[in-house]
Amino acid sequence: MTQLILQSVVSGLLVGGMYGLVALGLALAFGVLKVLNVAHGELLMLGGYASFFAFTFWGIDPFLSMPLVFIAMFAFGVILYLTLFRYVTRTEIHNRIKNSLLISFGLVLVLQSMAVRFFTADERTISTAYSSDALTIGLVRVPVVRLAGLAVAVMAALFLEWLLSSTRFGRALRATSEDWTRAALTGVDVRRIYLVAFAISAALAAVAGSLISLGYSVSPNIGLGWTLKALIVVVLAGLGSMRGIIVAGLFLGLMESLAAVWLGGQYREVAALILFLVVLSFRPQGFFGRAYA
Amino acid sequence: MLAVDGLEVAYGDLQVVWGVSFEVPENSIVAILGPNGAGKTTTLLALMGLLPVKAGSASFKNHSLIGVPTHQMVDLGLVMIPEERAAFSSLTVEENLELGAYTPRARPRQRETMAEVLETFPRLAERQSQKAGTLSGGERQMLAIGKALMARPDLLILDEPSLGLAPIVVEQTFNIITEIRDRGVSVLMVEQHLEMALEVADHAYILEMGSMVTDGTSSQLAADPRVQEAYLSL
Repeated sequence: MTQLILQSVVSGLLVGGMYGLVALGLALAFGVLKVLNVAHGELLMLGGYASFFAFTFWGIDPFLSMPLVFIAMFAFGVILYLTLFRYVTRTEIHNRIKNSLLISFGLVLVLQSMAVRFFTADERTISTAYSSDALTIGLVRVPVVRLAGLAVAVMAALFLEWLLSSTRFGRALRATSEDWTRAALTGVDVRRIYLVAFAISAALAAVAGSLISLGYSVSPNIGLGWTLKALIVVVLAGLGSMRGIIVAGLFLGLMESLAAVWLGGQYREVAALILFLVVLSFRPQGFFGRAYA
Repeated sequence: MLAVDGLEVAYGDLQVVWGVSFEVPENSIVAILGPNGAGKTTTLLALMGLLPVKAGSASFKNHSLIGVPTHQMVDLGLVMIPEERAAFSSLTVEENLELGAYTPRARPRQRETMAEVLETFPRLAERQSQKAGTLSGGERQMLAIGKALMARPDLLILDEPSLGLAPIVVEQTFNIITEIRDRGVSVLMVEQHLEMALEVADHAYILEMGSMVTDGTSSQLAADPRVQEAYLSL
């Protein structure tokens, strides 16, 4: 029993790192552009396929293709912003969420159907030589690819924190997310901030996708599930702290995993949703968030 | 320096500014005065490209401002301090000031300007690492002005600088505005607080219901019986 619990704690934390990584991008777009991109999970799915095909056709190791996937999806994010989300950000702040929901749901349908058409509905996993390697610590087995995923998630959060706190661009980005009008009056090109923030958000989703196709699996319809998890994480953490998002991701993964062990596998999702409701009711600004006026 | 001619602004079908014209000469303080709802803030926001201009023209140092993105105006030296809380409360005082020098125009001289601003506002130097949201009303006002000065403006626009401040802070603010003009930066301010504004302004316009009703030097307006009757009689 102890071994089972320890093992599920570890698995929960490892999948929780992925929840955190997926949520980072979602929180960035939401915090800065005030848009809710429910197609975030589909961008993840595309990133996963990109790494899968790079490995299958050209034998490129997923850890090598990851930076390329980041760049490619950054570019795709730029295109999506310029063709779709730019128009959402021209509307009043309070209209952006509903407008972005409509547009991104459409994007979900388009990207999912295209994925089924071009990639088929099969579930894909990258199996490298090291895919089944695991560290054994005491009673617990830690798969190395999932551990690497957690490490990438933590590094991404620390990188974003550094970017936001220590660079000129980061200060402009925080100013824009607080009040875009005043940011523009300070001399910040708000549209450029929106463009870059959205592109980083898309690129982070894709990197998560690469890791998921390695440690877990991808198929055309995985997107919404991951988007939902990311949304729960953003609500748990609140906006404002990138580190907090990873912590909330780990917490969600852990709670799900423990619920699955103690209550049964079918309660995994229930635990997540109950957590979601409890936080929304009692601490709507999240564990680490500022209360927004 | 700034010339606005026949400016008209509407929110959809609701027009609130009707053919407003005014000028800000170099090295002067110009005030646009008028009651709440006269269209003062709307005029400024439209001028800064944050509201669509229906008709009219505006030029700053011989550049037309119509259709120019806001951030480029800041780079031209046209800097506006919006009404209330102009600083970013989630950024520290120091970060706010650094961000003030965001434009290519101001960036190379950031260090030098920062020293000047901290000399003008020693309180800000003491509070550099504090979040702007934790400052008092007066300190926030200093930060707003300091942040605007970081952009190295040629023309500083202030929207209701006296709003919500204690009388002593209002007086300090107007002293600073005079000092800024004396350093060679022109000032355009919008105010409801007529008496104070007329004391510091060189020239003033009175805006009512979206139209300019009269203008003149401060002493002319202060002596104008209509102005006295409408605004100065307490």
